[in-house]
Amino acid sequence: MIRFEKVTKSYPGPGRAALESVSINVDKGEFVFLVGPSGSGKSTALRLVLREMRPTGGKVFVAGKEINRLATWKVPRLRRQIGTVFQDYRLLPTKTVSENVAFALQVIGASSKEIRTAVPETLELVGLADKSARMPEELSGGEQQRVAIARAMVNKPMILIADEPTGNLDPATSAGIMGLLDQINTAGTTVLMATHDYGVVDQMRKRVVELAEGRVVRDEATGVYGFQH
Amino acid sequence: MQMRHVSTNLRQGLRRNLSMHVAVVLTLFVSLSLAGMGVLLSKEANLITRALGNELQVQVNLCVRDYPGNPSCVGEVTDEQKREIVRQIEASPEVDSFYFESKEEGFERLKVLLGSEQFEGTTPLVTVKDIPEAIWITLKDPDESSGIVEALQYLDGVGNIQNARELIGPISSMIDGLTYATWALAAVLLAAAILLVANTIRLAALARRKEIEIMRLVGASRIFIALPFLLEALVNAAIGVALTGGVLAAFTKFGIIDGLDAQFDALPFIGWPEYWETLLLVAVAGPVLTLVPTLLLTRKYLRL
Repeated sequence: MIRFEKVTKSYPGPGRAALESVSINVDKGEFVFLVGPSGSGKSTALRLVLREMRPTGGKVFVAGKEINRLATWKVPRLRRQIGTVFQDYRLLPTKTVSENVAFALQVIGASSKEIRTAVPETLELVGLADKSARMPEELSGGEQQRVAIARAMVNKPMILIADEPTGNLDPATSAGIMGLLDQINTAGTTVLMATHDYGVVDQMRKRVVELAEGRVVRDEATGVYGFQH
Repeated sequence: MQMRHVSTNLRQGLRRNLSMHVAVVLTLFVSLSLAGMGVLLSKEANLITRALGNELQVQVNLCVRDYPGNPSCVGEVTDEQKREIVRQIEASPEVDSFYFESKEEGFERLKVLLGSEQFEGTTPLVTVKDIPEAIWITLKDPDESSGIVEALQYLDGVGNIQNARELIGPISSMIDGLTYATWALAAVLLAAAILLVANTIRLAALARRKEIEIMRLVGASRIFIALPFLLEALVNAAIGVALTGGVLAAFTKFGIIDGLDAQFDALPFIGWPEYWETLLLVAVAGPVLTLVPTLLLTRKYLRL
């Protein structure tokens, strides 16, 4: 589903490359943790999957397509197959919970009928059906992250990219979010999650790819966070 | 595409940056009005040139019976006299080109100049047979006409010679000056309008950065993200063009038709046909001047 072939990414200016000859293969339906210290290249890898940037060398494949050769006008279509969740939720403060979720469908031209069906279904999935009319500021951090997950999933993407989704949450709330991501993965969505949170990695016992200084230093099928222990 | 979403965004965008939009509309309105007046003035200059010739032209009126002010004209110019006149013209190094104007063509030109109503009815000002045939000479240099004038003025068959430069030089210079001044001012103001458009987009992009970031991530198309900005630019252009249309209409009606045209019979003046032609140009230029920078700048500021 996601494949990096000897991917290198350098930013302008001096210093080492953010990623150096990284090769990773994530199969359909897999749940993969991308771990490593700050500056190890996790976020760069996620941004390459989203075609936020192009690699300096090597190839990135998503759903069988080499996306660094993808025409710019085709990038939105690629992104519709990928849901994205961030540490800071990135909800629109002037919209209600359901409006935030509906927004993701409105802006890709979905019909009102589709939106009326998909939004309540997705809010049900994330356990927020009863809070659809609330504003984001009225929700806890965990609930806000659930809204962000609902917005990422409402279009039923094949891949879910999560960049430190539990970074702002306490351990109990994090466990709830991880349970939800696991549920989404079990339903068939490929999940690629960058994290510093060794608690959730150790608890989930999923595949762990560790990056250090832009290189893959570990790839275990059922790993733990590793260097924290 | 969700038109309700687009229209809501458009309303919000216009409200959020109201003062900037007002500034864009006003600058666009003033610059388009000046540019429009420049176009009208150049049309006026063309009209005068068509009727009276341009500065390079010398009009040689040939004899008719009882030519006013020239007792040597005892009758219509003869073919032999015409041949001699043409020979002199062809021999002159000052002449670039020349052409004949028949009595009928001269009559039509006079009707344009003075208004056709004066040549109709039972007591017309003049009739076709009173109009002299003419030769229109185009000079190589407007400052050098003395040689050809001297060569022709005492020839038999020549009624009189009018140097267009003496007649329309001051008028042409004034109109040209006004035209260039309005265009120069319009260009400066249009540059200001484009910079205001750029600032408006930058402010709007900043105000909506979170929303735009989410739109990009969930796969909204580039045109969908840019559409509210393009529509805002279009609304600004439409208001600017409408205001300009009003000002140019007032200028045409009160300044030209009821003003100059009513007072000066000796010169032809532009009217509503020229107004509509100019308005069409303004109606195209307004949207182009706002949409093109918007298209280019949304790519830059929205990272599309």
